[in-house]
Amino acid sequence: MDTNARRRRVHTTVEDTEATLYNHDLSLYPKFPCSEIPLSEFEELAIDRVQLFRIIEQASLKGHKYFSDEWKKCIKDDMMKNNLKKFVRLLSGFNGQTELDIQARRADHISHFILRIAYCRSEELRKWFLARELEWFKIKFVSNSTPSILKFLQLNELNYQTISNEEKEDLKESLIVCTPGMNDVQVMMSEFYKVPFLDVWTLVQKRRVFLKEGYAYIPINDLVVSIQSTFRTTLSSKLVLMNRNLPNLDDERLSNLLCNLHQAYTGNEYTVSNDKDAINPADIDEYSKKHYPLCMRNLHETLRANHHLKHYGRLIYGLFLKAIGLKYEQFIEFWRSEFTKTMDTDAFNKNHLYNFNHQFGKVGKRVNYSPYSCMKIIMSNVGAGDAHCCPFRHFDVGRLRAKISECGAPSEGVSEIMQLVNNGHYQIACTKYFQYTHPQPSSNTINHPNQYFEESMNLVKDKTEKIVS
Amino acid sequence: MDSQAKFDESHLRDLLPLYYKRLFPAAHFYKWLSYGNASTFAHREISFALENDIYLRFQSFDTYKEFVEELYKKNPIKIDIGPIYLTKPKARNMGQALQASAKEMVFDIDLTDYDDVRTCCSGADVCTKCWKFMAIASKIIDTALREDFRYVNVLWVFSGRRGIHAWVSDEHARGLDINGRPAIAEYLTVLKEGMKKKKVSLTGHIHTSISRALKIIDKYFPTIVKEQDILGTDERLKNFLSILDDNVRTQFKDCMTKVTTSAERWEAFERKFMQLQQTNEIPRNLKNLREEIKLQYAYPRLDINVTKGITHLLKAPFCVHPKTGKVCVPFNVKHVDNFDPNNVPTISMIINEVDAYDKKTKEQEETLMETDEPSVTNQVKIKDYKKTSLLRPINLFSEFLKNLEKDTKKRVDPF
Ligand code: SF4
Ligand SMILES: [Zn+2]
Repeated sequence: MDTNARRRRVHTTVEDTEATLYNHDLSLYPKFPCSEIPLSEFEELAIDRVQLFRIIEQASLKGHKYFSDEWKKCIKDDMMKNNLKKFVRLLSGFNGQTELDIQARRADHISHFILRIAYCRSEELRKWFLARELEWFKIKFVSNSTPSILKFLQLNELNYQTISNEEKEDLKESLIVCTPGMNDVQVMMSEFYKVPFLDVWTLVQKRRVFLKEGYAYIPINDLVVSIQSTFRTTLSSKLVLMNRNLPNLDDERLSNLLCNLHQAYTGNEYTVSNDKDAINPADIDEYSKKHYPLCMRNLHETLRANHHLKHYGRLIYGLFLKAIGLKYEQFIEFWRSEFTKTMDTDAFNKNHLYNFNHQFGKVGKRVNYSPYSCMKIIMSNVGAGDAHCCPFRHFDVGRLRAKISECGAPSEGVSEIMQLVNNGHYQIACTKYFQYTHPQPSSNTINHPNQYFEESMNLVKDKTEKIVS
Repeated sequence: MDSQAKFDESHLRDLLPLYYKRLFPAAHFYKWLSYGNASTFAHREISFALENDIYLRFQSFDTYKEFVEELYKKNPIKIDIGPIYLTKPKARNMGQALQASAKEMVFDIDLTDYDDVRTCCSGADVCTKCWKFMAIASKIIDTALREDFRYVNVLWVFSGRRGIHAWVSDEHARGLDINGRPAIAEYLTVLKEGMKKKKVSLTGHIHTSISRALKIIDKYFPTIVKEQDILGTDERLKNFLSILDDNVRTQFKDCMTKVTTSAERWEAFERKFMQLQQTNEIPRNLKNLREEIKLQYAYPRLDINVTKGITHLLKAPFCVHPKTGKVCVPFNVKHVDNFDPNNVPTISMIINEVDAYDKKTKEQEETLMETDEPSVTNQVKIKDYKKTSLLRPINLFSEFLKNLEKDTKKRVDPF
């Protein structure tokens, strides 16, 4: 994969080699991709995989049990909803060899490597990425049939040692009592593999495997545990290595993409589109109470109280306001009227006007900036005196508790929310907060303040529409 | 051997210098923790506890000489062994965390954790009756380590008071990572602490490691029922019944209260259980009830955090317990049934033994001198520990070291 690919020729056909390179849905991604891809596709693939991983992560956060049927279904459904059909294809279990199958595997392969570059940069990112990669591998693995798993082992030269029939006969009793989820017949039918016990330490820990002299005896279904552990070790060291040898990217767009991937691209970007209803500035105070998530409510209330916000506060709240439909003139007027309560108009024009214009994309590079997502807010640095923050993440416990009950969450809701906060599930806490302060829960986990706002507004709209009709 | 009665805490300060100089197997100790490589020893944390609660942590010693000199100078009340770090602990930079790279996998089992089931003694006391719990524990853990994990270099040590330690010293045990240690520790943990009275739950098939443990427990269980008198009083019976599920409790209560002794009550329980089983009155989830109860009473109770963590410190073998004066001696698991925790050499006893031996030899020499035998003057000087009851434990330690060495060589050069 060449990161300067934009300047190169674009391949549009699948070459023969790809058919051999991409002949199995399961992959440990041993080789760097060498095809050239246009930057636009590069971007798209990167975002697709981040989205895929977000979906996998959300499924567990929604409370589905790991690798349960509901968990898998939830992931598949969300993938379909989010236009990730090509990845769904890898879960079919058929291991097809059509053009579409090959394209899907190619996307899987290339996007994996793009994310390696993006996620090798810090311990925290590596950890998150590694966990998702392992889950993704396992979802694919468990969808596969036995012959296709065997094919995968062979293709990847994973020489797992099966035990002979005599040995199995000898160990029969032990294998039956130590291998949960399999009855006598299944044990006798399945191949058993012998692996170093540390390869399947998760099974050892739960005493769910037969051990003998340092080896674990596992049926084919549990092989995934062992393969995952090899995959984890190699991928983890490759990420560390990659981080050390990270090339200097000479392309700004590319390096922006890679550096901000984790924060920036999570679902809808909520930039303003023209078909959005304009909001009336007079309604803002009321909206802030009824439809704002806590982060924005906090910014709004701070602004009204101090007639001022620091740089990031202005930026984050400004982009939010723009995205909920405040028009340009009213946007400037909104800030001007508040700021001039403590400064004269000249000072405002001199010190702040340019910035607000820039924010709105009216001057300078004229960028239509996206408003901040939850991840970006949650991960941002909040200093003393800063009002921008995710209250679930950054408020101290006492202040948060007081704030959410002041905002109308009932007491049983407060403790449930605080529990989630305790466990570091800030967005889930926010989602619960939504549920407790609205007649109806949000349709998705909150991952964007503007999503919160829209979902909240929609509930009102539904109601008024009903009344009208 | 009445000499252990003579140990007096206040003498410890005077005895320790003698002990370290003449009896403590420092050379063995050094050989063990070097594993054939001096720098391994030099990177090991060795902590000393001194009088007046002074505790010297993060010490390390570059050479054998440096180690013994410090030992003779400080005469620690206790020596603790920590992990091998990437940098020498003594040379660590303040503010920078040390990174542990290896350590023996250790087990720590203490009789105080059995206080709800042992009735013969409590707290710090120990006798041959409750020692049976330690015998069971060491046998179960030792067999599992060997048969399930193929660890063979395991040093078992009496902790000096009422517990035991195991030092699993195989190379692949020392190198266990942050996943391996907890995995093994959990694998060997059967009792789950929590609010419930019933601490063991076996659903479905019984894992081979547990049925093997049960076989070991079975050898002791009838004796324990009697000696610990686990069902002998109303209160103990009540405790026992509280472990049982509500839906079967009364059935057992009736038949068990009819008889009086602990053994009779256990027998009544077993008989009733089998009878209910035949008539299909035992719910499926309780089909392993008998096993669960035996495990709850007798399965090893590990201090699991000691095993899980690589940086955990543990008292070194051959320390002297400051309260009892007993030496932390290694023991052979095969002969654990003959081990009597109240017959362990104490520091005062072995120092007396050296004196007595020397006195006797001197007398002999003098008699010989009178007869003018020429050979005696050439006699090789015999090591002090060989004159004492420390001889057997130290021989056991040597044997452990010999096997360890063989194993290390084998690994380096398989041909
Ligand atoms: S979770 Fe998101 S929307 Fe909710 S308060 Fe935090 S940043 Fe705002
Ligand atoms: Zn006792």
